[in-house]
Amino acid sequence: MAVDLTLVSFFALAALTLVSGAVVAFSRNIIHATVALLGCFLGIAGLYVQLSADFLAAVQVLVYVGGTLTLILFAVMLTARIEDVRTSNTSTGLPVGVALVAALLLVLGKVATTTAWPETPRAPMPSTAKLGHALLGDYLLPFELGSILLLAAMIGAVVLARRAVKRNWEKA
Amino acid sequence: MGAPLVLDNVQSLPFIGPELTLGAGILLLLVWELVAHGARKRVGLLAIMFATLGAAGAQAAFALAHDAPAVSLFGGLLASDGFAHVFRVLFAFVTAVVALYAAPVRADDALPGKRSTGEMYLLLLTVALGLSFMAMSRHLLMIYLSIEIVSVISFVLAAFSIDDKKSSEGALKYVIYGGVASGIMLYGMSWLYGATQSLALPEIGARVAAMSAAQHGVPPVVFLATVCMLAGFGYKISAAPFHMWTPDVYEGAPTPVTAFLSVGPKAAGFAVLVRFFAEALRATGSLHASPWPLVAGVLAMLTMTVGNLSAIGQDNVKRMLAYSSIAHAGYMLLGFAVFSTTGTAAIVFYALTYCLMNLGAFLVVLALAEQNGGDESVGAFRGLGTRAPVLAACMAVFLFSLTGLPPFAGFVGKFYLFAALVRGGGNFTWLVATVGVLNSVVSLFYYARVLRSMYLTPAGASDAPVVVARRHTATAIALAVPTVALGVYWAPLYDLVARTVGMVP
Repeated sequence: MAVDLTLVSFFALAALTLVSGAVVAFSRNIIHATVALLGCFLGIAGLYVQLSADFLAAVQVLVYVGGTLTLILFAVMLTARIEDVRTSNTSTGLPVGVALVAALLLVLGKVATTTAWPETPRAPMPSTAKLGHALLGDYLLPFELGSILLLAAMIGAVVLARRAVKRNWEKA
Repeated sequence: MGAPLVLDNVQSLPFIGPELTLGAGILLLLVWELVAHGARKRVGLLAIMFATLGAAGAQAAFALAHDAPAVSLFGGLLASDGFAHVFRVLFAFVTAVVALYAAPVRADDALPGKRSTGEMYLLLLTVALGLSFMAMSRHLLMIYLSIEIVSVISFVLAAFSIDDKKSSEGALKYVIYGGVASGIMLYGMSWLYGATQSLALPEIGARVAAMSAAQHGVPPVVFLATVCMLAGFGYKISAAPFHMWTPDVYEGAPTPVTAFLSVGPKAAGFAVLVRFFAEALRATGSLHASPWPLVAGVLAMLTMTVGNLSAIGQDNVKRMLAYSSIAHAGYMLLGFAVFSTTGTAAIVFYALTYCLMNLGAFLVVLALAEQNGGDESVGAFRGLGTRAPVLAACMAVFLFSLTGLPPFAGFVGKFYLFAALVRGGGNFTWLVATVGVLNSVVSLFYYARVLRSMYLTPAGASDAPVVVARRHTATAIALAVPTVALGVYWAPLYDLVARTVGMVP
């Protein structure tokens, strides 16, 4: 029996993504959660390669693994007393949550497996040139809007982070 | 009508004049904030802000008044039609009124927490830009991007009074809730894209129609995707059960910001909601053809009931108005649940009247709290009828209008919503309408508490006459007059709305 390598690699990548994601969500140790994010990001980058989205995969590695993850790690490391967080709300509602998630997964799985998904053959890699044309052609407006969003978000971050005044309720 | 005119990038530029103006205003404010000082800075900020909003609103109003032909812009990303123009005018107006609330009186006068007004104006203009794009979007990518612009900047605005613990807490809840809602909406969009292989609403509409015809009903995948996307839209209009953030954010945010959030993003959320259901799902009011009337009707009943029942017990007027704004989202959903042109016209008309009365109510809270050291409780209104007669009279007008009593604009708006609903026909619409009427009765109860406090509770011995800033009184009157005028003579405005709410075919 011939083993379909694409299928094997897909399941490996999916497992990597899901297991890392589970660690991120459930780990009690925030450092472990942050490091597990690495596996999650890498798994998704691999899935992008499988979908012949090579440029997206590279960006995923550069931006998320290289940039975002490092930033999150810094934020975690530099935050004082991040380990002894007092949980003020202890009502977790675990049974209800588990039941809801199980029901949701059942519905999603049922719909995903019964839907006749339209399939189109995908053009081979590389996709970078096409993406470039799309960003400066058909999708120029969203591209520009994205830069406005980033500019405004940056100003907003400065507004919030700059301590012109000491917060009164922090002095106590 | 023939095929809609689709314009490419360069041809589209003249049609987004209002948005280009807003963008230029943002950059001008940014530079002015850096270079100017003192009194000149204050005057310049006001001048740039109101010139930008005036120019943007005027361009949209011009297009509206001249019945500019509906076109599809940027190769189908945006729609320039009457429906979008109405909202663009509304957003420019709302932003200008809110800018007036937050205007610095003296050169050294900064906002709570010593923040510069320039920063707030810059952020307000950016949100206004996002709101305009929300109303025009006919492409999932544009819908998502514009919603994100509005959300991200709203988080910052909600946290603007940095000295206030409630403001920070509300903003944090807003961020977490907003992030989750956006995520679920994106997930829904990805299902829809997978099933239809398109992000453009008209193309999705064609595919969904074909799939529905083949399966004799809405395919489960489309239903699932839409329910997920409703989380994002429902969060923007604060419909139950996506309303949890509303009371905390509205109570904590500076009052001008609360006033803005309660009308701007809500109206834009409705614009996206209506356009999405009309173009991508081609929803009709028939209960047999699709589950959408049922979904929307249940959402409307739930939202109204949750909003009104929660508002009853509130003592903080800002928090009460937050729950009331949830209830009003429910009323507007009544017009949405029939998926007809009359329903859309009723929603737009109600959004216009709602923005007048709600902005007004928040202005009175703001003016009063400025005078008595930030007290926003119902008790702070005691004896206002004698302490500040003009302000109290304006507040009474706004509250009666919010309740939906004649002869105020709120009554006319509600009348059109219920009329559109009942015209849809069927037992279910009657049920929804009955729940709506019962809810209006409930709402009278909590609005009347403020009225009773103002006119029937005597002022305490320590309560001096309230000296309200003259610009606040003037603005309150300027908002109260049309609230009354539209209650007795609404035909021209309604006709204009009904005539122009058409979308790009």
